[in-house]
Amino acid sequence: MGPPKRFSSGKGEGSKSSKRRKKDEEDWTLEEEDINEIDVPEGEGVPGAAARDAEKNDQGVQEDEFGAKDYRSQMILKPDNSSRPLWVAPNGHIFLESFSPVYKHAHDFLIAISEPVCRPEYIHEYKLTAYSLYAAVSVGLQTNDIIEYLKRLSKTSVPDGIIEFIKLCTLSYGKVKLVLKHNKYFVESPHPEILQKLLKDPVIQECRLRRNVENESEEFIKQVQEKKSVPSFGAKGAASGDQGSGEGTAVPDDITNFYEKMDNEEEDEEASLETVSFEVNQEKIEVIQKRCIELEYPLLAEYDFRNDSVNPDINVDLRPSAVLRPYQEKSLRKMFGNGRARSGVIVLPCGAGKSLVGVTACCTVRKRALILCNSGVSVEQWKQQFKMWSTADDSMICRFTSEAKDKPMGCSVLVTTYSMITHTQRRSWEAEQTMKWLQEQEWGIMVLDEVHTIPAKMFRRVLTIVQSHCKLGLTATLLREDDKIADLNFLIGPKLYEANWLELQKRGYIARVQCAEVWCPMTPEFYREYLVCRTSKRLLLYVMNPNKFRATQYLVRYHERRGDKTIVFSDNVFALKHYAIKMNKPYIYGPTSQGERIQILQNFKFNPKVNTIFVSKVADTSFDLPEANVLIQISSHGGSRRQEAQRLGRILRAKKGAIAEEYNAFFYTLVSQDTMEMNYSRKRQRFLVNQGYSYKVITKLAGMDEEPDMMYKTREEQGQLLQQVDFNLLWGILNIITTQVLAASDIDCEDERVPGEGAAKGGAMRKVGNMGSMSGADDAVYYEYKKSSNLNKHPLFKKFRY
Amino acid sequence: MADNGVGAQSQKSSLIKHTNLECKNLYDYLKSRPPSVLEKLYNHPTICLAVYRELPELARQYVIRILFVEQPVPQAVVASWGSQAFSKEHTHVSKVLTELSVWQEAGIPGGLLGWILSPTFKKNLKVALLGGGKAWSMSSALEVDSKARDVSFLDAYSQERWECVLHYMVGSQQQEGISADAVRILLHAGLMKRDEEDGSPVITRQGFQFLLLDRQAQVWHFILQYLDTVEERGLDLVECLTFLFQLSFSTLGKDYSTEGMSPGLLIFLQHLREFGLVYQRKRKAGRFYPTRLALNITTSNDKVPDIEEDAPKGYIVVETNYRVYAYTDSNLQVALVGLFTELMYRFPNLVVGVITRDSVRQALRGGITADQIIGFLKQHAHPRMLDLQAKQPLPPTVVDQIKLWELERNRLVYSEGVLYSQFLSQADFNVLKEYAKSIGCLIWDNNDRRTLVINKSSHDDVKKFWKRYSKGN
Repeated sequence: MGPPKRFSSGKGEGSKSSKRRKKDEEDWTLEEEDINEIDVPEGEGVPGAAARDAEKNDQGVQEDEFGAKDYRSQMILKPDNSSRPLWVAPNGHIFLESFSPVYKHAHDFLIAISEPVCRPEYIHEYKLTAYSLYAAVSVGLQTNDIIEYLKRLSKTSVPDGIIEFIKLCTLSYGKVKLVLKHNKYFVESPHPEILQKLLKDPVIQECRLRRNVENESEEFIKQVQEKKSVPSFGAKGAASGDQGSGEGTAVPDDITNFYEKMDNEEEDEEASLETVSFEVNQEKIEVIQKRCIELEYPLLAEYDFRNDSVNPDINVDLRPSAVLRPYQEKSLRKMFGNGRARSGVIVLPCGAGKSLVGVTACCTVRKRALILCNSGVSVEQWKQQFKMWSTADDSMICRFTSEAKDKPMGCSVLVTTYSMITHTQRRSWEAEQTMKWLQEQEWGIMVLDEVHTIPAKMFRRVLTIVQSHCKLGLTATLLREDDKIADLNFLIGPKLYEANWLELQKRGYIARVQCAEVWCPMTPEFYREYLVCRTSKRLLLYVMNPNKFRATQYLVRYHERRGDKTIVFSDNVFALKHYAIKMNKPYIYGPTSQGERIQILQNFKFNPKVNTIFVSKVADTSFDLPEANVLIQISSHGGSRRQEAQRLGRILRAKKGAIAEEYNAFFYTLVSQDTMEMNYSRKRQRFLVNQGYSYKVITKLAGMDEEPDMMYKTREEQGQLLQQVDFNLLWGILNIITTQVLAASDIDCEDERVPGEGAAKGGAMRKVGNMGSMSGADDAVYYEYKKSSNLNKHPLFKKFRY
Repeated sequence: MADNGVGAQSQKSSLIKHTNLECKNLYDYLKSRPPSVLEKLYNHPTICLAVYRELPELARQYVIRILFVEQPVPQAVVASWGSQAFSKEHTHVSKVLTELSVWQEAGIPGGLLGWILSPTFKKNLKVALLGGGKAWSMSSALEVDSKARDVSFLDAYSQERWECVLHYMVGSQQQEGISADAVRILLHAGLMKRDEEDGSPVITRQGFQFLLLDRQAQVWHFILQYLDTVEERGLDLVECLTFLFQLSFSTLGKDYSTEGMSPGLLIFLQHLREFGLVYQRKRKAGRFYPTRLALNITTSNDKVPDIEEDAPKGYIVVETNYRVYAYTDSNLQVALVGLFTELMYRFPNLVVGVITRDSVRQALRGGITADQIIGFLKQHAHPRMLDLQAKQPLPPTVVDQIKLWELERNRLVYSEGVLYSQFLSQADFNVLKEYAKSIGCLIWDNNDRRTLVINKSSHDDVKKFWKRYSKGN
């Protein structure tokens, strides 16, 4: 187990990027996270066009007297603008009226061609990016159609710069596909001239596989595709009720006509399309992919699973009881749009039924499926899901984790974790055998759960180990503080679908959550200490703020009385233990064993006496707790928006019979007033706020003072707590090697190891830790305290943590 | 926290210097006039009627009850008209009536005090209610106007004129300028001030607050300021006020003759014309049309629902993510929204902005209050926002947050104090400290440096005690 390889994100870089961010913010570009300011290992897997940024288009734009970018000179308002829903800014931002009669049309279209920036109640903002346009092309939209439809939907004329940008990003994309047919790889394109062009490249020539060498001037393989029907997915969900809702309102004809045309095109696209192709040497796939990207003709991977006769079909079908919701079906339609399986990412909020989408995709492809997830617990949950929604039984599903090693041979669905696959150390003989088998297989589909959590490096390793025809990424938040998310576009594929949280909430597919930020004033003693002490110690002080403790206690009691199930999250392990022990509640954190975890979770689910559990960030993702409807967050990971969204996801699963109430789930974040926490909290909330959630600020919890026997009410008690905190810190400093300091500062995520991973936990889980610390990375202050924590530890001692 | 403190401190000093915009209603205004002016005003039935209309309900009862009583009514009798439970209202109403000189105290035989209506007020209110007297000077005995103007034209006209003034205030170059007279009024009202460098008028904090008021309040405030300067121009205040009140009783869409108006009043009319309170085709047209602005000036807010029609349609959408979208291309409206938002993009018919802590704090520093911002957003909320949740046109979280941002600035508590220092001995210091503690006026003390700060109001007591103490030693 070597020392962890940290990404070289020193403090200098952090401050640089934060400076840049600041500048950006001054430039009114709020979406700094969308700008490609990544230090990607240059040129690796990212085509040049992707680096293009529409944001730059408006640098020369005049600001008006009020400091806004004045686009009025660049566009002409159409006379019938009130019946058109869009404004398109020269910098690629698109604003959409959600109350427009053509909203539905425009929304579908925009989702396909652009990234949603924020989607609250009335006006949504989208942004055209190189990636989003790439995705648009890959689901079959044509450059001219995109421009034409955009023109028609817009209230004003569309700026020339944008048209230029769309052309630039789409013309070369999506023209060439890498198709796997009869287990041979073909590069296919409807445009022979492009293939000619590609073949002029020596590298590509090399990759070409020639069956008969004599015929040098051989032709491309010509083929006429016959019409293919889109597969249907299980039982149809409830018919979407908004058909014809736009009737009676004035919709300009050109919009509806065009929309219908586009709709039809999508359905029976390539009805009979002549394509040309050449075969590619299987060993040179990587090379040709990379070369094509360099030539700005990225290969779209498609899998013609129906014509795959080499890999045997597996006998898995959806159960008749599995009913897909409209948005699930829509997302799958994007994936199987032309009868083949496209690789890509589907983004659905937590609790909106991602697993069902995954299961359905596997049942549609009906080839051997590999499911990758990021913890032992979610491996179990995936197995459950398969058994629930599909006809697969125990014999067909194989789990491959350090604890459960089912016999893999002959199974059709394998569920495992990222770390099991990428593990580089010695394995048990059994595991070794399984790995060997796994590597030999040709997988039909690979489902990557929580795809945002895995770093590109690890992902590449997975790809080199596993051969799969098509990859489906599932995630709730395609969002990372370090912007590495863009890599996924080219590693897996474009984003195929992203759901609108607010809409799902309105229709009752996910819980209606009341988000609240509870402000807990620091007690004078704690605040004095806070002001004078080092940054790393501050964290502990604001987490252990007695007022926060009391607020927690109050909220826990309040919701227990209501009969709610509450999860309390604390990233800080010292606080976690202290809170839980003081309140006499069960808690789960890194060192908790798998068995104990399951026991606690089972009790939480079924035991009416256990209504509150305390968890550390191990429960951030993929702990499926459908019962929980209250979440209290007492300490969190800096300004990570993703963590916030993930945590919210824990309580998003739709609650039964709660339509009557305005809200049926509660999400509290407790922050200590006047501390860093306030800033973090503001930053964390940005993603959810952009999804349309609103945080209510609670400055005083009514009735808290009347509550009997609350803790830390008196100054003496508070003083004792402060001493305890002090002692804890002192202890930590003196005993660097003990885990105490880690618990106390919790900067290192080492204690978040998942023991269930057994031997595999080493390198792999450490990476997750790294990922964690990197989210929030563009926050200067965060870096500072990270650094100071490193200072506390002698490098020699790093190895002796356990 | 630290920067909060500093910010608040500097705020404090500016807060002391600047007064915020005061909004008087008719009652406040008349109350502040000397009784002689009021007496003169009450010579006109219109004013009496206007004042009567604006009185609290109970006061109107009293007035009507004693309108025809020729002798003072004992105060005890008046008090007995209402039940004991409403004695508070009674006291308030009596005060109002006295302040407006509607009635005055008078002795009655037997040494008791009584109330009697002011004779002028009584006479003219009777005229107003019962008729008689000479015709109100604004006669409408005119032949039919060949180019009569309808109500919508007048509304558009008045709106355009009024916005011209506002445009001038926000300094947008979009519109034509306004007359020197109007500028003078703005300067006088403290809504604008001369720039120290080039002497051109610039908007003040009161000016910003003024902009956020609703239209009617703006007009009324502006007219009040105008009336303040009326005497300097050699116009008669009473005459002008009377004319204003007459205007407020006129009918919208009807034309009135300028015949019989004094030269001073004609000048006044021209000023009103400039601000859009009346419409005249030509200066010497001989007839004028009052507009809705003039009709509404003297009535208090809640009474005239039709002002809403006149108000421009709501154009602002506020989102839960603090985005503000304003459907407008008017520089004035953009400028107003820009007072408390960061504007990002401008499209031909839309402005995109975002409410941030900084932008709101800047507005707060400018003297605009959170309530004014919220009020403004509510008033101009896009119809779409009113449709969906009639109860809450704005996202409650945004409203809360703006209020919290305001509260954030007021976290320091100020108390005036007196510093005691340079005690000769620790014992002296302790004695004084203990004393100050015992009477509860000790604000701060420092043992090492032997200094303490004492509440200013108790300064005298402490001083006396100190004298006594030092004498005793």
